[in-house]
Amino acid sequence: MSNFVFQNTKDNKDFKKKHLKTILVFIIVIFGIYSLKLFSLQVIQGTNFLQQSQTISQRQRFIPAQRGEIYDRNKDFPLVVNIDSFAVDLIPGEIPSGMYDTVALRLAQYLGITKSSIDKKIPERDRRSYTSFEIKANIDFDLITKIAENINDLPGVSWRKKPLRSYVTSNSMSHVLGYVGDITKDELKILYNKGYTNSSIIGKTGIEKQYDDLLQGSAGLESRIVDVRERKLTENTMVQEPVMGNTLVLTIDSEYQQLAEKALGNRIGSAIVLKPSTGEVLAMVSYPYFDANMFSKEDSSAYYSTLFNDTTKPMLNRTVNAAYSPASTFKVVMTAALLEEKNFPKENKIECSGIIKYGDRDFHCHVKRPGHGWLDLKNGLAQSCNIYFWTIGRDYLGVDKISSYASEFGFGSSQKIDLPSQSSGFVPTAQWKERRFHEKWVGGDTMNLSIGQGFLEVTPMQVANMMAMVVNEGTIYQPHLLKEVLDPISKEAIHTVNPEILFSSKIEKDVWKTLQEALHYTATDGSASSVLMKNKVVQIAGKTGTAEVANIKDSWHSWFVAYGPYDAPKEEAIVVCVMVEATNEWEWWAPYASTIIFQGIFGNQSYDEAIDALGFRYLVKPVGRQE
Amino acid sequence: MRILKIFEFIDLILLTLVLILIIMGVFFIYSSGVDAQNILVSNEYIKQIIWAALGFILMIFFAVLDFKKIKRVLNWTVIGFIAILVYTLFFGRYVNGARSWIGIGSLGIQPAEFAKTLYILFFAFYLEKTENTEPLKRFVISIFILLVPMGLILLQPDLGTASVYVPIFILMCYVARLPKHYIFLFFSIGMLTVLFVVLPVWEHLIVGQKVLFVSLLTNKKLWLIVLAASSFITLISFLGLRIFKQRYFYWIAYSFAILTVALFAYYPASKVLKEYQIQRLIVFIDPTTDPRGSGWHIIQSKIAIGSGNVFGQGFLKGTQSHYRFLPQQSTDFIFSILSEELGFIGGIFVFALYLFIFIRIYYILKETNNTYGYYVAIGIVAMFFFHFVVNVGMVMGIMPITGIPLLFISYGGSSLWNAMICVGLLMSINARRLDFSA
Repeated sequence: MSNFVFQNTKDNKDFKKKHLKTILVFIIVIFGIYSLKLFSLQVIQGTNFLQQSQTISQRQRFIPAQRGEIYDRNKDFPLVVNIDSFAVDLIPGEIPSGMYDTVALRLAQYLGITKSSIDKKIPERDRRSYTSFEIKANIDFDLITKIAENINDLPGVSWRKKPLRSYVTSNSMSHVLGYVGDITKDELKILYNKGYTNSSIIGKTGIEKQYDDLLQGSAGLESRIVDVRERKLTENTMVQEPVMGNTLVLTIDSEYQQLAEKALGNRIGSAIVLKPSTGEVLAMVSYPYFDANMFSKEDSSAYYSTLFNDTTKPMLNRTVNAAYSPASTFKVVMTAALLEEKNFPKENKIECSGIIKYGDRDFHCHVKRPGHGWLDLKNGLAQSCNIYFWTIGRDYLGVDKISSYASEFGFGSSQKIDLPSQSSGFVPTAQWKERRFHEKWVGGDTMNLSIGQGFLEVTPMQVANMMAMVVNEGTIYQPHLLKEVLDPISKEAIHTVNPEILFSSKIEKDVWKTLQEALHYTATDGSASSVLMKNKVVQIAGKTGTAEVANIKDSWHSWFVAYGPYDAPKEEAIVVCVMVEATNEWEWWAPYASTIIFQGIFGNQSYDEAIDALGFRYLVKPVGRQE
Repeated sequence: MRILKIFEFIDLILLTLVLILIIMGVFFIYSSGVDAQNILVSNEYIKQIIWAALGFILMIFFAVLDFKKIKRVLNWTVIGFIAILVYTLFFGRYVNGARSWIGIGSLGIQPAEFAKTLYILFFAFYLEKTENTEPLKRFVISIFILLVPMGLILLQPDLGTASVYVPIFILMCYVARLPKHYIFLFFSIGMLTVLFVVLPVWEHLIVGQKVLFVSLLTNKKLWLIVLAASSFITLISFLGLRIFKQRYFYWIAYSFAILTVALFAYYPASKVLKEYQIQRLIVFIDPTTDPRGSGWHIIQSKIAIGSGNVFGQGFLKGTQSHYRFLPQQSTDFIFSILSEELGFIGGIFVFALYLFIFIRIYYILKETNNTYGYYVAIGIVAMFFFHFVVNVGMVMGIMPITGIPLLFISYGGSSLWNAMICVGLLMSINARRLDFSA
């Protein structure tokens, strides 16, 4: 080994000196630059960074508000309440490492679910996180107690109150109230600006959806400082109290609802009880209905599929979302039109022989030969004679006038009830037929229209409103389900819904009077009087309808729409409209159901009492068609 | 007393400076292990204390030992270590994405750390022996000596540790008076290749749109054309130099040789390195391009440091660290937590400590008359300085993320022991500065 470099030659020493100096200078320069950078970060930009450090570490969390309650019009019987229920959460970061599987399995056993369902909720990468994951909701107090007793075996497990939306008696109210569920991404896209978050519970159908903004309340706010694993630091919590949703008072009368529900029974169809002077809906029944409470349960999506695939369409609210041929109930409009037009006196008679020929077709009345005989308007209506109305419709009114009067009665238009959706039905016109089918409107079409068949389609709500216009003598008030909005705590009324005019007719007053008399006569002496007159507690005026349905023989849609009391001011009147679909066994049930309802309402009786009072316990099925 | 003789070898200045740094390290490793609820979740600081204690013994040992004696066992030690490195490559445990760790149970070491010092010792030995060797041959063999350990470590793949070899190599060559243009050639080719490899990723991730210049590299056809042109020019200038013997031909040939080799090396290098690895290197340019990955580290680190202001947030009170926003708090990012809690004052204090260490080593270098000692000490300076510059730079967001610890302060047994061995060596060199023997 040599050490020539360090012979103390001047040459080598110089080099060494030079090298070392260069190196030292370089080192000092770098230190200088770094000190400047440090100064820049800490002193110059210090406050900026300090602010950033606070921002990242602060989290805000919404505390959901209690959803508003819903009552019926009497305010003593809640229709929807929030039930105290618990949800169980898991914070995986609090489980000692390596114990995740053990704890998850244990928890699954307590909750009666599979471990894999827990694993699905907590992805691998979050298994050390301090975020809270909801494992299961709708847990009752007993199970929570059990879990609490064994909490030492369940690190990371916690629980909290999560109220359950409970529909007190679901049944037919399910269509009115609807149900709630977790907000979907699409809904959130639309509603984000209104303060909804991705954990919001939102109404999906019915009143729950229609007035969701009133029922939501406002969420509270909790602010806390967290670390990057979402662990909460309790000293820093500030809270803005959540505000409970408003209490809604509906126009529905629970007793009438139950009465109508039972009166309709297990028949696919609908029943409406309406207060025509204000538009308040006292009862709204559509069968089949569903159980809204099922949507709060774990297997709600399975239940939804069942409902969705059920061919009787339980989720369809037939009172407003289904449109049918009104059949003879439409003769009310025809009668009003004829009286108003005044080109055919009401006393004039038309002969019904049971059959008329028109074009190349035979048109049969619903009674066979010899038919009804000679009928004037009053009797034509009472007997619901088709030939009478075919004649006046075709020869004295014509499609344009008929369509026009139909529209005046609100057919073909939305009734604007406070539900998320409703059908407007359909009123055909001659122009429409040409446009749609490229065929001219012919006399046969007018005849069909005149007896409420053919292209005309109406909802039960529209039929009820038609009768309301008769009661109010030219006005239909907007039908509504909401009566009042109350403050959730003080229960004072924040808002009361007032009657709003929806349709207004120019038909003269004495036309209405005549029509009312005719309808009363129809009830007392008409085709359904044997049934209707069983009710001795109230005078009614109304009209039946029996609609032909394509592809169904020996069964028809059965309609009945009426109001009572006939002999009282219109503020006291109540309209009842019942419709039983042809898909049921033929019973001609609508008049029966309506009678039961009138009996129950005006006799102040329950369904069973009403049945007995009317003697309907043992019912005979009528054979063949009856009007 | 013979025991007291030990103290003759210990340089008190170095000892004090290093001791202060280690103690600060322990305090901040402790702080990094305390979470937001003020609960200690990590006992790393205890381990560090134990390692430091054992490290002191190592340090004293090497201080007392005559460093020149190491030369006798170098050859076998080097062969042994190469074997260990190869073993680590195949059977080592994964730590932070690289097979760099071997051991039993939870006790183990990172051989790459010690390999750095061994390399210094061996390369210094070679340089001392070959002072009169023809420079080109000497340089080429030096490169070979460099590539063996560096290559093995690059394969782990530990880019950070491998990169430490480069400044050591360059500085030692510089003071051993290897021709500067050779060093510069090597350095430029390396840097230019790195630049070429990084450019496409930079274009893709940071700029976000096509840059014309970069397509000269990424487009295979263009690249071949440029490569051919560059090689051609190099050849021509070389010929021109030969034929015309003009000076400027030399420089043209020189420059284009660098370009040619770099262009050529670009291709395999860009195939071997994956995009995410390259991305990690350049994310510091604009951390917001990767706010959830490596960019997050840098953003958090800067926030932590910046929020320390002048006097710091107070010991154990740092927000980013305790709320666990800062990753690797006890190792790579220990300076962040230190700056967050002690502020600018604390940061400058640490800077001063390191600066004084370097000044002390400068003094040792100046005074030593021993070639081998001089070379070894230079190598150690390069290593220490590189660690400091890259770690603190990374933490401040002006250097790429490379996973290099801050010596004496970062948590880590192997790194601490290696550093303390080097300090022992420095003390040994210093104690024998008047010794001219070989």
